Amino acid sequence: MSDTDSTTESDASNGSTDRKDKGGAAIGSGFQERKLGKFADTALVRRLWKYMRPYRWLFVVCLLLLPAVSAVSLVQPWMLQIAIDDYLIPGEFDGLWFIMVVYAGTVVGHAFLTYWQQYLMKYAGNLALRDLRQDIFDHVQQLASSFFKKTPVGRLMTRMTTDTENLEEALSSGLVTMAGDLLTVFAIVVILMVVNWQLALASFIVVPFLIGFTAVLRYFLRKAYRTVRTKIARLYAHLQESITGMDVIQLFVREKVSRDEYSDINAEYRDANIRAIRWDAILYAVIEAAGSITIGAILWYGSGQALEGIVTLGVLVAFIEYMQKFFKPIRNLAEKYNLLQNAMASSERIFELLDTDEIIESPADPEPLPQRPYRIEFRDVHFSYTDDETVLDGLNFEIEPCERVALVGHTGAGKSTVINLLTRLYDIDDGQILINGRDIRNFDIHQLRSQFAVVLQDVFLFRGTILENLTLGDDSVPFDRVREAAEMVYADELINSLPGGYEFELAERGSNLSSGEKQLLAFARALILDPEVLVLDEATANVDTDTEALIQKAIERLLAHQTSLVVAHRLSTIQSADRILVLDDGQLVEQGSHDELMELGGHYARLVQLQYATTASTGGEDGFIEPLDHDD
Amino acid sequence: MATPSDKPPGSEEFALPPDVRRRRLWQYFRPYLKWFLAGSVFLVLTNLATLSIPQYLGDAVQLLRETVGAPGDFDTSAVRSEVITASIIIIALAIGAAVARIFSRITIFNAGRYIEFDVRNALYDHLAKLSPAFYGATPTGDLTSRTTNDVTYVRLLYALPFLHIVNTLVAYSIALTRMVGVDWRLTLACILPYPFLLFGLRRVMYALFTQTKVVQAKLSDLSTHIQENLSGIDVVKSYVLEQRECEHYGEENETYFQENLKLAKIRALMNALIILIASTGTLVVLIVGSRFVIDGSMNLGEFVEFNGYIVALVPPTIALGWVFAIYHRGIAAFDRVSELLEHEPQLQDPDDPGSLPEPSGQHVGEIVFDDVSFSYDGDDAALKDVSLTIPAGSTAAIVGKTGSGKSTLVRLIARMYDPDEGEIRIDGVPVDRIPLRDLRCEIGFVPQEPFLFSMTVGQNMRFGLDSLAYDSTLDKALPDEPLLGDESFEGALTQRDRIQEAIDIAALRGDIDGFREGLETLVGERGVTLSGGQKQRVTIARALLVNPRILILDDALASVDTHTERRILHQLDTIMQGRTSIMLTHRFNALTEVDKIFVLDDGRIVEQGTHGELIEQNGVYAQMYQRQKLREQYDQ
Ligand SMILES: Nc1ncnc2c1ncn2[C@@H]1O[C@H](COP(=O)(O)OP(=O)(O)OP(=O)(O)O)[C@@H](O)[C@H]1O
Ligand SMILES: Nc1ncnc2c1ncn2[C@@H]1O[C@H](COP(=O)(O)OP(=O)(O)O)[C@@H](O)[C@H]1O
Ligand SMILES: [Mg+2]
Ligand SMILES: [Mg+2]
Repeated sequence: MSDTDSTTESDASNGSTDRKDKGGAAIGSGFQERKLGKFADTALVRRLWKYMRPYRWLFVVCLLLLPAVSAVSLVQPWMLQIAIDDYLIPGEFDGLWFIMVVYAGTVVGHAFLTYWQQYLMKYAGNLALRDLRQDIFDHVQQLASSFFKKTPVGRLMTRMTTDTENLEEALSSGLVTMAGDLLTVFAIVVILMVVNWQLALASFIVVPFLIGFTAVLRYFLRKAYRTVRTKIARLYAHLQESITGMDVIQLFVREKVSRDEYSDINAEYRDANIRAIRWDAILYAVIEAAGSITIGAILWYGSGQALEGIVTLGVLVAFIEYMQKFFKPIRNLAEKYNLLQNAMASSERIFELLDTDEIIESPADPEPLPQRPYRIEFRDVHFSYTDDETVLDGLNFEIEPCERVALVGHTGAGKSTVINLLTRLYDIDDGQILINGRDIRNFDIHQLRSQFAVVLQDVFLFRGTILENLTLGDDSVPFDRVREAAEMVYADELINSLPGGYEFELAERGSNLSSGEKQLLAFARALILDPEVLVLDEATANVDTDTEALIQKAIERLLAHQTSLVVAHRLSTIQSADRILVLDDGQLVEQGSHDELMELGGHYARLVQLQYATTASTGGEDGFIEPLDHDD
Repeated sequence: MATPSDKPPGSEEFALPPDVRRRRLWQYFRPYLKWFLAGSVFLVLTNLATLSIPQYLGDAVQLLRETVGAPGDFDTSAVRSEVITASIIIIALAIGAAVARIFSRITIFNAGRYIEFDVRNALYDHLAKLSPAFYGATPTGDLTSRTTNDVTYVRLLYALPFLHIVNTLVAYSIALTRMVGVDWRLTLACILPYPFLLFGLRRVMYALFTQTKVVQAKLSDLSTHIQENLSGIDVVKSYVLEQRECEHYGEENETYFQENLKLAKIRALMNALIILIASTGTLVVLIVGSRFVIDGSMNLGEFVEFNGYIVALVPPTIALGWVFAIYHRGIAAFDRVSELLEHEPQLQDPDDPGSLPEPSGQHVGEIVFDDVSFSYDGDDAALKDVSLTIPAGSTAAIVGKTGSGKSTLVRLIARMYDPDEGEIRIDGVPVDRIPLRDLRCEIGFVPQEPFLFSMTVGQNMRFGLDSLAYDSTLDKALPDEPLLGDESFEGALTQRDRIQEAIDIAALRGDIDGFREGLETLVGERGVTLSGGQKQRVTIARALLVNPRILILDDALASVDTHTERRILHQLDTIMQGRTSIMLTHRFNALTEVDKIFVLDDGRIVEQGTHGELIEQNGVYAQMYQRQKLREQYDQ
């Protein structure tokens, strides 16, 4: 029974509240869930098995313990029978204690074996799960930046936590007990066939129906669970984004509207579950009933035969007994089945994530990085994030060793993109980026990245102390070095004024600092690395101009022998660069030193004039000159 | 009980008082009481039907035995029809039981889902009330874990145990009545050891409960790690931290695994104990009952029957162990969820709300700070004795060094925090007397770090408009006047037109036209697929569209090039007329036009006045200004 149906869950599904009709959209609605259902069950089980395999002996032990547990508990009726036959009926009391002791022994044994069976099962299952969890995380670390830009954190987290948790039961007890149940069913079938195969076949008449019925319900159940998994991912994505952006929600008094959105998704999730409950209840009840119905049927059919003497009464009674035993494991199977369908829906999503190969590849045998210093060249670079919007359109420039280069251009011109490409967060579509004449794609990606210290435009600090953040968890960095870097960006004083100094605990994303302070820390973090190339993307945009100027002086002094690439809007930051590259429309339109460009009288000169003009018109009635259009 | 503190949940041992827990559990259970009752009725019916099947079966077999074994010719056809009747009854009962079972499961499990639905909504509602201070102190991953995994466990707490407990109760009451009917002394003897055993079980259950909490907390840690790693993935990549992250995660994963193992041990122990308990009954029957049989006070048939009942009770008792585990996990999760729900919002709506005066005449939005002091963490004051007045309709600027408290000051206006001392008044009304949401309706806030949601650009722009459009609890009407207050304009503007206008004002036209899908372009979480300047300008448009009385621009043009900045400022100049606006900026060239400039230093206002006045004063501002000007001109 391979599973080839596919459900495409569009998240922007049409509800019926007027909010939706009017075009309002839910937070986090911007992402389409991918197709599911491309895995066959067998393939899923095979892949799960990969994680169970290293611990297969444990699983086997668990499997063997199952009949042992039943065997011990089966000794009890036997002891009882001996007690009745040999002692109670004759009225004999001596020696009965022995039976009692054995009985008590089986009770203890039963408990003891159960303990180990259950513990080992969990142990094995959790071992497998631990490995799976680690594999997912390791895999996700390799995925390309572009993947994270289009996948909300909440959705990824659902796969990495909730979906994985969902597998726990299946891995730790589900599969093993199912195997045990299947064995029992098989054994009973064999016994019945041996005892009386005609009657046996007659009794099994319901089985094909049952299988067919289960197959049909399985389809509905799985479909329901797929919807459930999609909805829950959607629900959690909304929740996650709401939590991270709660202050914006509150500032724009959108609590109620967002809550209604959430409630709608929540209702969809609930209803999807309710559908699953319905199928599950039917499946479960039908299998329960099948046992009794079979018994009724045997009685009906068998009584005639018994009365005519075709079968003995003993066989008939035995059959009824066996059929009752036969349906017990089947009932268990049905109960587990539901769990398994749910787990399968989860594992589909997990393996889909594991199969995502949106990875920026490191070459198989990377070249060693060339001799320093580096000469960086962009040669006819074309790039677009999405297929249709070209961001860089044949960009050419070089950065000489130890040169300080500034990149300017209006917002959205592609300055940050240049930086993303240089560190291979993204790969270019066409052209080449070269370091000392070698294509950067030839180098090991981690080695390449460690040549650069990048201060990204969006500052991200980790939870933990300032020191941990500055050293990035590398304990080998001497404290003096940390302090030196902090002093250079004038953060040392700030840090010392905080309670605990360098041990001050930052909140998530460093949200307990001001934006400028965060930028200073991110700056210091980059300087500590003492990189070959320093890349600053509006690294001091939120820092006051006095501090910025001081930092710049310090850097000029100390990093005289380093290459740097700086993106900034403030003229004061740009002017002192050795060379200024002006980016427009994805191409380099001007380059040269400040003076040269001023002489040229192009883009850059106009930019400077503009800033100068405003600054000059102090207190004037109409200080603003009519702005120029940049896109000419 | 719970004090409005902003300690992050889990920072100290949180123990939900039992009565609160009971009350809360009941609160969610109550609305579905009828469902659970109906479910129990169906359950009892199911049990009655299934339990009477053996009787008919036994009678039929007995009848057959008598007939087949007996000599002479009985009327076999009569026997046969009787047996057939029995089988029909059995089949009918089976079908009846199945139908009742379907209904019982559906009603009870559905009720569980509805409870889950309610709990989730309640959590969201509550989270929406909690203040920025709370979010600052609580890791997002922890919140997510509580609102996701824990809620799932809470749901299981209601439905499954209920189903099983009812089942067990039915089984027990049927068995017990029959047992007492057979021999009450033996019944008593069987029951006698239970209290002791249950006492022993209590300790294990307590361990189970505490360990469950530990495991759930560890799961939270895992989520927190994942969440942080994913949100900082670009830094992780740029600084080649993947290895370190994997190792850290590995450690946490291992701890989680180890704690899970401990839990597994406790669970297995509990189940083993329950098996002991369940089997004790049979042992007692064997020991005590056999005496009764031998001394003749009980006959063998009764002994066997009695034993049968006791054995029949073993499986439901064992199932109870499983129920206990789920129950305790549910309670532990419920405590973690309740910890959030019990966390009282720090910012409360006033008991005797005042309201902002209706906009009368041209100018509204006067802001007064009266000796305001504020600190985030209790000791280090971010604002000290700040007194200032921003007249209605004027444009003010706040400047100062990094960390001097500019953003803090404007956050207080939007009442994201309450000052420790002093009072803030808007149009004469203290902000804590204005209902929080009414206040914020009147404020257009452009935060320093732009935050966009993963929706389309257009949807992000109308983020605040949506609240006005669809939230009936808000008084403020959807604005329909043009943004650039054109006096001569009559009638109403559609939101579509207003958005177009906002795009022009925020100088986004070129960018939007550049996107193939225009306003329908999706932005990533936090707006990651836009450039920094684009993000900032979208947030400006978002704030302008709600037509606020007070506009706050917190360094809102920092990532925008000078050229674009000028275009925007030029337009904003018009917009700012008739409303109060506050600009926080590090670029002084924009400040020449401003009505009043406040200079903050280390949380204090050190200077104030117009640009001209401040230059004349030749104080901090003038010097900063000169330096900046010098630097920008030194090459001229
Ligand atoms: N959420 C917070 N929790 C604790 N402390 C904070 C928080 N936000 C800011 N602070 C601290 O309060 C002080 C003032 O911060 P604020 O953000 O108001 O500065 P700012 O003037 O806006 O600085 P910038 O120019 O860098 O934006 C700083 O010392 C900062 O570390
Ligand atoms: N991850 C992304 N996915 C899709 N588009 C992007 C992404 N990052 C940036 N863009 C788009 O690419 C263009 C250039 O962005 P960017 O390089 O960040 O500009 P800036 O010069 O301001 O740094 C912008 O139009 C922006 O919307
Ligand atoms: Mg940028
Ligand atoms: Mg600030």
